[in-house]
Amino acid sequence: MLTIRSLLRPSRIVDAHCDVPCGIYDPEQARIEAESCLRIIEKYDASDDQLFRNRCIHNKEERAELVKHHLDVLWHDYFKPEHLEKYPDLHDTFWKATKQASKVKQSLDAAAAKDLLAMIDTIDEMWKATGGAEKTRVNGRPS
Amino acid sequence: MARRKGLGRPFFLVLGMAAGISVGRRWLDVVEVRGGSMAPSLLPGDRLLVESHSYLGRPPRRGEVVLAADPRQPERELIKRVASIDDAASSAELRGDAPEASTDSRDFGTVPLSAIRWRAVLRYWPPQRAGRLAAGE
Repeated sequence: MLTIRSLLRPSRIVDAHCDVPCGIYDPEQARIEAESCLRIIEKYDASDDQLFRNRCIHNKEERAELVKHHLDVLWHDYFKPEHLEKYPDLHDTFWKATKQASKVKQSLDAAAAKDLLAMIDTIDEMWKATGGAEKTRVNGRPS
Repeated sequence: MARRKGLGRPFFLVLGMAAGISVGRRWLDVVEVRGGSMAPSLLPGDRLLVESHSYLGRPPRRGEVVLAADPRQPERELIKRVASIDDAASSAELRGDAPEASTDSRDFGTVPLSAIRWRAVLRYWPPQRAGRLAAGE
């Protein structure tokens, strides 16, 4: 039996590895960037300074890109297969929201930015219903 | 409480494994899992039988649990599940079963099929969770 025992002793360690399982998620991150997009578009419309308007476009595109990034992180990392059972349209919702973020990046249409906010709110509801802040934020943050 | 019937399946499982491993650790080997990125399928401390024969004859398949060298740190051997295979590029996308607690192809990209030599077959420790590993999605 000694040999069986020694044969069953693992010869090496294999890593089910994770660099940083921080587990912190909140759609608010995406929403803040999307709100910036909307406000920038409004400021763009109100200005006739061409330099300022150029800066608006540049900054809005950066913010819209961040919306996509934050939505992607929620989509890939926070939501899990069991959430998909509860929300069968989860993939479709994210796909449309990230596409909408692209639209906001490309255009100066305030209505498109408002639609994006509504889509992020839908995702926010899913996040809240699946655990929300209790599960994915640090306790004691100021509300 | 489990009923005991003679020596039972676990005994023959262990005997068979021991016989197989004694043939040579080139084809069969036993490894221990560290880390939680494969939870709930695999937990830290689980001991697994792995084999390297299948991938001599065929590429890994989607859903299989495999060992692969970490592309960023080749001396480290990762255990992950095959999420997809790209035949044309001869590469595989690896994912942990616990996406929120896993560093995988989402971070380091796909790995070449040549980096995947071992397939995890079954868990023999702890005994209460011993058995074949299910092919997942």
